[in-house]
Amino acid sequence: MQISDESFEDHVLKSERPVLVDFWASWCPPCKMMQPVVDRLHQEFTGTAEIVSINIDQNPQIAAEYNISGVPTFVSFRNGQEVARKTGALTENQLRKMIAAAGEQQQAA
Amino acid sequence: MSEPTNCHNANQTCWSCPAVEFKGHVDFRACGQAAFRKAAEGQLVVECKRRPEIGYFDPTSITFEHCTEWKKTDSGYLLDGMRVLILGMDGYLGWPLALKLAKLGCKVYGIDNMLRRKLVAERGAHSVIPIETMENRVKAANKELGVDIDFKEIDLLDRDALFSYIKEVQPESIVQFAEIPSAPYSMADVDKAVDTIQNNVVGTLGLLFGVRDHAPDASIIKLGTMGEYGSPLTGRPLFEGLFPGDAVLQYKGEEWSLGGELTPRDPVSFYHVSKVQGTFSVYEACKYWWLRSYDVMQGVIYGNHSDELAAHPSLATRFDIDEWWGTVVNRFVAQAVIGMPLTIYGSGNQLRGYITLKDAMQCITRLIAAPPEPGQYDVVNQVTDVMSVRQIAQTVAMIGAEFGLDTEVQRIENPRVEAEEHPYEVIHDKLSENFGFASESSFEDEVRGMFEVLTQPEAVARIKQQESKLFPTTKWSGEVGELKVLETWKPETTDKAA
Repeated sequence: MQISDESFEDHVLKSERPVLVDFWASWCPPCKMMQPVVDRLHQEFTGTAEIVSINIDQNPQIAAEYNISGVPTFVSFRNGQEVARKTGALTENQLRKMIAAAGEQQQAA
Repeated sequence: MSEPTNCHNANQTCWSCPAVEFKGHVDFRACGQAAFRKAAEGQLVVECKRRPEIGYFDPTSITFEHCTEWKKTDSGYLLDGMRVLILGMDGYLGWPLALKLAKLGCKVYGIDNMLRRKLVAERGAHSVIPIETMENRVKAANKELGVDIDFKEIDLLDRDALFSYIKEVQPESIVQFAEIPSAPYSMADVDKAVDTIQNNVVGTLGLLFGVRDHAPDASIIKLGTMGEYGSPLTGRPLFEGLFPGDAVLQYKGEEWSLGGELTPRDPVSFYHVSKVQGTFSVYEACKYWWLRSYDVMQGVIYGNHSDELAAHPSLATRFDIDEWWGTVVNRFVAQAVIGMPLTIYGSGNQLRGYITLKDAMQCITRLIAAPPEPGQYDVVNQVTDVMSVRQIAQTVAMIGAEFGLDTEVQRIENPRVEAEEHPYEVIHDKLSENFGFASESSFEDEVRGMFEVLTQPEAVARIKQQESKLFPTTKWSGEVGELKVLETWKPETTDKAA
């Protein structure tokens, strides 16, 4: 699901669930090819975790705020706080681990 | 006559429209490199070069469907009077594309250095279907189809002339067909190999600088070939240029995503090497300068038909059948017409992807209609059928029988260095899924159509005149000497399905 500068706060910072944000750009082949995987995870985790994508060119404020220096960058959040980030295409397993780690953060909090 | 049925690009926005200009300080950087941008005080905005009265606006707010500059056609929404520059407009593909786009309402511009005509003549061959001079072609297009095409005789390597023409035309799409397209030509001797690399690799590289400096928003449709991939013996699918997001590399217990990386290339001649180098040049230019391109991995093309070509004989496109300049299906039909055995190389079990001229023109038109996003490099595999050379020979012989031809097939020593037995799994989903492509021709019908034209007495005579140029002579090894005939037989020509 695509979000924007305006909806970032609602979808990410205020979410009660763990969140994985995919910062991407349309000129980035790995980002483009990751999109179906990210969309699939978004479907699968509906209700348990938020998996969202944000285009850094069309939403430069958030990209600048989070100092996104390469794409794709995956950042996980818990209670509005950044938990982990990885830059570069990831495998589905690696994405699942990031989501799980953000979920565990919840229990610790 | 027909309602447009498939508007694949209805939801594309000004973000990918070549008629907008990005405004503000935009600092686009390479993928995976620093993408930190100073752009941003608020959203990125654009200005429409065609409708400056709208002012600055969010490029994702207007879709092609809702923009008054994009008109619905059979090939999707098309930018009204889109300026398209075809490099290599005199060629087998360039000319039918020019006619098709002009008929659709594009403003078509083209260049060519007429090299193909010269090289075919040097080989002692000629187009089986007579073609007009470019001057007469342009006149005929005007008379028969009511379209205006602008042609200039310019060599792609003459960068001064090329750049000033790009500057003058301000193309919104550029089709790069100006390449020497023959594998055996590139393997014949050092001069021909160097010519191929020089024209194709250096020509495309120069073009990219011209686009950067004079038409950076134009989409570049770069013609590659399925031969860039080779035929991996592992059976790994031939993905569309880039690995899909769920491709994973596992090694020593660790895993990495391959998503978005260029898939391996394994070219099969120095001509194919030139195409691979072109792929890398275009890929890099998109990365460095935010150019945008579709790299088209085209299957082996065949046929001589399109609706526009059919409007009048003076509009015909060239049709070569000699060893260097003809493609396999076209060559087989010509061989069958004059009673020469169809020459298949080695086992004949080599599998390749194929597409008709007409379908290829539809694909390219749809790619032009749905431009990539700024900086986007993408690849499509432009193929409709995968067939073995043996299957092709069999079908050509069978359809030849409908025309009273008694055709033999001959296996000869393979002049090429290639796998003769190999798996071949081609992924070719994007054109149909993302661009609304639907094939309008079939292999059998296209072959039948070619027989109808080539069995006319004038065509038969024009084939016979170059009979000695049909049998292959160019060996990849560089050795000189006749290729041995391994086996000759007469295929079953009754249609078992009937």
